[in-house]
Amino acid sequence: MSKLTKVASLVSIPVMASMLAACGGNGGSEGGASGESSGQPKVKLTMIESLSSPKRTEFLKQAIGEFEAQNPGITVELITPPLESADSKINQMFSAKQTLDVVEVRDVTVKQFVNNGYLEKLDSYAANWPDFSTLTASALTMAKDIDNTVYYIPYGIYQRQLFYRKDLFDAKGLSAPKTWEELYEVGKKLTDPAQNKYGYSFRGGSGAEQYITQIVQDYNGANVNPSDSVFNKDGSNIFSTPGAVEALELYKKIYKEISPPDSANWAFSEQVQGFTSGTTAMLIQDPDTIETVASSLEEGQWATAPLPTGPEGVSHFVLGSAGWGMTSYSEHKEEAWKLISFLSSPEQNLKFAKTSGVIPIHTTASEDEFFKTGAYAPYIQMAQEPDKYVGVKPFTNYKGYALYKQNGIEKGQAFIFGKISAQDLAKEFSDFWNKEKAQQQS
Amino acid sequence: MRGKAYAAERAVRLLVMAVYLVVMVFPLYWMLITSLKPQKDIFSLPIYYWPKTFTLANYENIFKITKFHVYIFNSVIVSLSAAVIVLAVATLSSYVLARHKFRGSGQIMFFFFLTQVIPAFIGFAPLYLMLSKMNLVNTTQGLILIYTVMGIPFSTIMLKGFFQRVPSSLEEAAQIDGCSRLGALIRVILPVMLPGLSATFIFSFVQNWNELFFSVIVINSEHLKTIPVAMNSFITKFDVDWGSMSAATVLSVIPTMILFALCQRLIVQGLTQGAEKG
Amino acid sequence: MNGSDRSVPAVIDKPRNSRSAIWFIAGCLAPAVLLVLVFTYYPMLRGVTMAFQNYTLFDLSDARFVGFGNFKEILDNPQFITALKNSVYWVFFSLICQFVLGFGIALLLKNRFFGRGFYQGMIFFPWAMSGFLIGLIWRWLYNGQIGVINNLLIKIGLIDTPIPFLSSPKWGMFAVITANVWYGIAFFAIMLLAALQSVPEEISEAAEVDGANRLQRLFRITIPYIMPTILTTVILRIIWIMNFPDLIYAMTNGGPAGSTHILATYMMDKIIFGGDYGKASAVGVVMMVVLVLFMVFYFAAARREKAGDF
Repeated sequence: MSKLTKVASLVSIPVMASMLAACGGNGGSEGGASGESSGQPKVKLTMIESLSSPKRTEFLKQAIGEFEAQNPGITVELITPPLESADSKINQMFSAKQTLDVVEVRDVTVKQFVNNGYLEKLDSYAANWPDFSTLTASALTMAKDIDNTVYYIPYGIYQRQLFYRKDLFDAKGLSAPKTWEELYEVGKKLTDPAQNKYGYSFRGGSGAEQYITQIVQDYNGANVNPSDSVFNKDGSNIFSTPGAVEALELYKKIYKEISPPDSANWAFSEQVQGFTSGTTAMLIQDPDTIETVASSLEEGQWATAPLPTGPEGVSHFVLGSAGWGMTSYSEHKEEAWKLISFLSSPEQNLKFAKTSGVIPIHTTASEDEFFKTGAYAPYIQMAQEPDKYVGVKPFTNYKGYALYKQNGIEKGQAFIFGKISAQDLAKEFSDFWNKEKAQQQS
Repeated sequence: MRGKAYAAERAVRLLVMAVYLVVMVFPLYWMLITSLKPQKDIFSLPIYYWPKTFTLANYENIFKITKFHVYIFNSVIVSLSAAVIVLAVATLSSYVLARHKFRGSGQIMFFFFLTQVIPAFIGFAPLYLMLSKMNLVNTTQGLILIYTVMGIPFSTIMLKGFFQRVPSSLEEAAQIDGCSRLGALIRVILPVMLPGLSATFIFSFVQNWNELFFSVIVINSEHLKTIPVAMNSFITKFDVDWGSMSAATVLSVIPTMILFALCQRLIVQGLTQGAEKG
Repeated sequence: MNGSDRSVPAVIDKPRNSRSAIWFIAGCLAPAVLLVLVFTYYPMLRGVTMAFQNYTLFDLSDARFVGFGNFKEILDNPQFITALKNSVYWVFFSLICQFVLGFGIALLLKNRFFGRGFYQGMIFFPWAMSGFLIGLIWRWLYNGQIGVINNLLIKIGLIDTPIPFLSSPKWGMFAVITANVWYGIAFFAIMLLAALQSVPEEISEAAEVDGANRLQRLFRITIPYIMPTILTTVILRIIWIMNFPDLIYAMTNGGPAGSTHILATYMMDKIIFGGDYGKASAVGVVMMVVLVLFMVFYFAAARREKAGDF
């Protein structure tokens, strides 16, 4: 009997402790203003990030610290969910109208947030914001991505370029490929499966649709409509042209002949690791990869170059972006805007861009040496030839994009494994997008 | 002749068991040595099956970059509390289901069995809304509530088997001695049931200890996060931070292993009793 | 349900059942039944209604009822059929291997030997980790470039170049099933060991005297004796394995080309790609219907054989 009472008393301690612990934590969920003894109401903002990384979170906390010092009446709580589940958590919180004031909005989530009425229109705030006028054209395009209305202020632009192993290229007397065809030929020379060496870091897993889209766009040349980039200026969609089939055949050849067999199911991390570990000699990725590559490979071992082009000499890059938005139901909109505009100021944004490897949003940043030289240099070069390197808006505003993303993996893999032909794949995607377009217009 | 065959059989048996142990333990071994490797050696080729240099840097790191001690505390509180409540609730329900045959008792068992069939995803969004209305989002109690509800059906099924093994003459005698029904249960039956109870307890504790999905969505604040959420955060865009992940794995497995070790005799004894009736 | 247990009209196990007994039964059942009813069944029913709605996060204002539209669409999709077939493979092979190996280990562990306690402790170990973490670890072990398994196979000389276990439709299911077997053996080993230890020595000895050899004793005496445990653990495992997306999700994400999707991961995919809760719920409902039908047949068969305790 005494044994039992001992057990009972032992277990009751954690139960009680949990009550206490939970009471302490309760303030967080209720949020909002809490009266201070001085009578000065202190406003509490809640902010949630999505594309978090330990380094970035640390930077944000520091920036928030500065903001709080400048605005003694405001405190900010930063919520940092694990990367993989962040967006679904944000959605859950939205659907229950949980306290949130500032939220990380991504090109892939903005349309859905707007549809559901979660985001506040920021046009009137931006109109009175002096720094708005110095936004780059790309940043402005993405800020107004949906309905030509500012729903978020981007914190940076993601834009791809080519990374290559300069040492391996030099040893064979090769130079960075200018076209997809050249990429394949150069890669062929660098591939030696027996040594586990391959030309290219293929991506057949999550995110494959971006690479399929890119090469197909390039094979549609100057015809692609930059603001609706799965369609051409003549109204046809990019998968309906003969170029699309040609592009897909090359895409398959690139996998079969110059990429690791494993890469059929590679997603971002494997793709980058393939390059940094020395298995592959070429990689097409965003600027946030620069730092990882720099820390894994020696200087002089690698370099960057503009993206390969299609047969007409035109290349397309997607303007990827993410930034800070405000919830439509925030109770502290003035304060929330203060935080957003603080984080988006040229000074803060420049620091943020360097930390997280994105292209800064203000034109003033182009003066910065950091973005003019070294691994960032191809971006300047690409910007100087806008007819050759065409920036296009992602078409994530279609309802079917998510399904396209899934099919990019599943159908894309079926294609490279030879289960369906290039014609079939092109036809399938072509029909898919025509249907999406019709649905969107109705 | 017989002796020789016996020796051969023993050798085969030992061999099979050794192979099984190696296969079973290898992933744990791999986590352990990874956690003791310096960051740069973790993915080095050729693969080292024994660390070239030992370091505790990964362990120091997880306490430095995260509030790992806080997460451990939270996990202990949440897992223990929910397991205790589950035990109390399931003891009552399984006891009457084992002891009394009444109309609907079969259906109630089926009612508990059926919960196992429900995919966690399907009810999740409505459940979150309920928690939100009850102001339980981002609280330890909210998580305890969910884990309790998740644990009750299986524990009831398992404990019912244990109760059926205990002869009912025990509490009949106690009731004759003037104990109430509840009194008889607490004073006479439970002590006999200790092994079965601890087996059930540990099962639900471990389940709570490892739960990731609900914890990620329900908890926002850093100071309320549990270990699995923290570990999930070691998956970054670029790679899995295996240095931190392996160290956290080792640390998170230790408490459950200790619990197993402490209660092992009780568990095996308990399962032995319950096993006959499943 | 809460109504039915309060209004149980007659409690008829013993003559001394009285009003107080009814109250005792109701009081003991109420907390468990109510909690599960409110926090499991109610949200589930709400979730099930989504299966009949056009419920996607992309535009929640358009969440109209579409009847069986979601079901039609998923059943028309060849990917769903693949996932359904894979679910059968996944459950069947995982279960058979886990059961046979777990039973074997349990038989070996039945006799006392030096270090048995330690050994038992070590085989508990996979239980101490989450399915997701196990998936991550096995993904690393199976990796084509830096994975230990390929490295070992090359060292032994079985293969020359790494096998892309997780990136080839040929090997994908094999890889995830072996990982699942590794995870699940412990459950059967422990449960069946406990059951074996409850078999009275006398029965077995009597059979030995009658001249039955060991295999005969195993099938004629031991297995029938522990049948209730086998039946309960098997049905629980079938349900759990079917409902266990974590491992596959972490290892292959259902790929390549959807070749390792089971219904549970297929359902997750519907939510992750585009937040299509309507179709995800429809997949979930199909899964539940399949399992419930299976369960009903299983219980009926067990009852007919008077083998189980259901």
